[in-house]
Amino acid sequence: MSEFTNNTVNSVKKPVEETPSGFSFDNIHRNAMIEQMSKQQAASGSNSSYLPQATKTGTTIVGLVYKDGVVLGADTRATGGTEVADKNCEKIHYLAPNIYCCGAGTAADTEKTTELISSQLDLLRMNTEGSQSRVVTACTMLKRMLFRYQGHVSAALVLGGVDVDGPHVYQIYPHGSTAKLSYTTMGSGSLAAMSVFESGYVDGMTEEEGIELVKRAILAGVFNDLGSGSNVDVCVIRNDGTTKMDRGAVQPNDVTPLRNAINRSDKLNMRSGTTAVLKSSFKPHSVGGVTLADVTVTDMET
Amino acid sequence: MSILEYNGAAIIAMTGKDCVAIACDTRLGAQAQTVSCDFKKVFQFGKTFVGLAGLASDVQTMNSLLKFRKNLYELREEREMTPRVLSNLLSNLLYEKRFGPYFIEPVVAGLDDDNKPFLSGMDLIGAPVYTDDFVVTGTATANMYGMCETLYKKDMEPEELFETLSQALLSSVDRDALSGWGATVHIVTKDGVMTRELKGRMD
Amino acid sequence: MFGPAAVTTDVLDIGTRQEEDKRRQMIASGGTGAMCASNFLGEPAAFEVPNVADPAHFCRSNFASACGAADSHQTVKFAKGTTTLAFKFNEGIIVSVDSRSTQGAYIASGTVKKVIEINPFLLGTMAGGAADCSFWERNLGMQCRMYELRNGKRITVAAASKLLANTVNSYRGYGLSMGTMVTGWDETGPQLYYVDDDGTRLKGNMFSVGSGSTYAYGVLDNYYRKDLTVEEAIDLGKRAIYHATHRDAYSGGINNLYHVTKDGWKKIHSIDVNEMHYEFAEEKKNAMSS
Repeated sequence: MSEFTNNTVNSVKKPVEETPSGFSFDNIHRNAMIEQMSKQQAASGSNSSYLPQATKTGTTIVGLVYKDGVVLGADTRATGGTEVADKNCEKIHYLAPNIYCCGAGTAADTEKTTELISSQLDLLRMNTEGSQSRVVTACTMLKRMLFRYQGHVSAALVLGGVDVDGPHVYQIYPHGSTAKLSYTTMGSGSLAAMSVFESGYVDGMTEEEGIELVKRAILAGVFNDLGSGSNVDVCVIRNDGTTKMDRGAVQPNDVTPLRNAINRSDKLNMRSGTTAVLKSSFKPHSVGGVTLADVTVTDMET
Repeated sequence: MSILEYNGAAIIAMTGKDCVAIACDTRLGAQAQTVSCDFKKVFQFGKTFVGLAGLASDVQTMNSLLKFRKNLYELREEREMTPRVLSNLLSNLLYEKRFGPYFIEPVVAGLDDDNKPFLSGMDLIGAPVYTDDFVVTGTATANMYGMCETLYKKDMEPEELFETLSQALLSSVDRDALSGWGATVHIVTKDGVMTRELKGRMD
Repeated sequence: MFGPAAVTTDVLDIGTRQEEDKRRQMIASGGTGAMCASNFLGEPAAFEVPNVADPAHFCRSNFASACGAADSHQTVKFAKGTTTLAFKFNEGIIVSVDSRSTQGAYIASGTVKKVIEINPFLLGTMAGGAADCSFWERNLGMQCRMYELRNGKRITVAAASKLLANTVNSYRGYGLSMGTMVTGWDETGPQLYYVDDDGTRLKGNMFSVGSGSTYAYGVLDNYYRKDLTVEEAIDLGKRAIYHATHRDAYSGGINNLYHVTKDGWKKIHSIDVNEMHYEFAEEKKNAMSS
């Protein structure tokens, strides 16, 4: 019977890797209940959210076009609330050999969105016999993705790269609007950075001038915006196809020399036996990974 | 109160010279009420350990899910999962639920194929943070950051790493109402895993 | 704190002036001016009240120091979280408390004195807002001393607890947070009263107050007898606090224990509850093996 055969065919479990891709909304109903519950428990008149906060980049990111390519820049601070979650994170993401993208907003969103588009660009190149990706293609793919989620994927991007049409810098907002510009800034430190660009940008700058201006713009964010901090990362993409990624191009907040200057108290070196131990055991590593035998005898979690 | 603080937890992972260590408290609470003093929140996956702080039900769900995906990977690939791969897998599992997240903030600590330390932490939607010194998560993060910034040194031998990590954790949880009630430490070296249960304050 | 930056002396005076005006009005309207007990017994003790339409609501929503996480939305969080207990028995009264003070999940202190020695014959305990309790019980101490000087004899515990109840009652709805026990020995013998922020005043044989009180009651109800010896009573007070600190996240630190007799109160001990944990664990192990 056809129904029967159909059923069996459909019910054959596909390997895990082939489960439907994209976001899963499984927990949404549960989480709404949790939020409702915790609101009821707490005192009345409270407006604060009970759902936890995701890590934000804070961020100053910039990009500009110079005579022979583009220069991108970013600070390296990630924040979780008022806490600095990462003192040296990477905000200039690789998209293609000739395209990079700076991200501001929710850290996971900028990270995963650029990762996704990067792999799609890779596939696209393979399907078009290795032809170079165009910056405008990356821009369109990013904006389509962001527009689909109506700003809920909160990634504010500065996209930069070179292709057959020359150097390009795009600005992409979380809702999916884009602008093609010769210089732009994004993130919480964008105003500070833009003030530097507005006073210092001229058409047809040399690479050195471009890098210098980008560094100054990011430093303006680092020093004047609490959401931005630590180091300056700079990425240059030249018309000849070469790129230069300079992690920690400026490190105005390097505390290593200061730390080394401190005479570390001997009391801070924990001597053996300081901690009271109740039980101690040692287990050597098992050789080789999981075998089928290991899996079948595993008890169900109860 | 955030749902991440409902059950209470404190986890620190630290690197040493060719070794890593991860320590966690053992409390399971329901807000103010201490329900259990031997709750498991750090899990072993070969030479990699994953610490899961946050909502206890999601801690256990994520552990099962990780174990399932790791076993499947090793059966198919016939090689062990490195900490970097496990960290990426975890990150993607979390980001898949971007709009209805699991309420956990994990840390991953382990030794890679060359027995070099690997450390990462992430938020509840999988934004990864890679460090080469220490990473903390749980209800006492401010306390733990303070202790680690003070006590940490580069390239400690396993024994000193154990003492440093243990003292950092114990002092941190003594100033946090929602974590403590004992602690467990795992020290991973190229030879194996040393597991120690610590005597901590029980109030 | 409540008004604009430009502060005139007139504004600074508001508290005392209001108090003065109130008293004058009361006297003018035929009142005695002694409506507020504190006016009658010494200097008036009164808060300045924020200059807004509904001061009670303003205080409640910004400065309330309710227990648990109920103030998590407030910028101002208060030290609190406690287990305190007191019980009467044939040989007097035992007062036993923990010493932890928390602000949210952060442990602000582990060595707080939660028994307030009002005078050599009166003890008060502290649960809820630390500042509320210590301020008003100090104030109570002053009122009790004034009574002694005026009347040439010690105040009864009943009267002292009533003074405190009257004080907190006059601030009802303003968000004070106090759960306190007033104990002592007076001409009528050992006395134990419970007074809290909404004006409740109860006389009883056994009370436990604070976030860990349910755990303490569990132990007390199980082992309490009227005819406990002093040693047994001390042990009971100690155990009840230990079990509460073990289960309650917001209780812990040190157990301070007092014994009240006809000669006044006496401090019995200050023991780290963590030491008790291992002492009791050992006890349990021995009991199992024998």
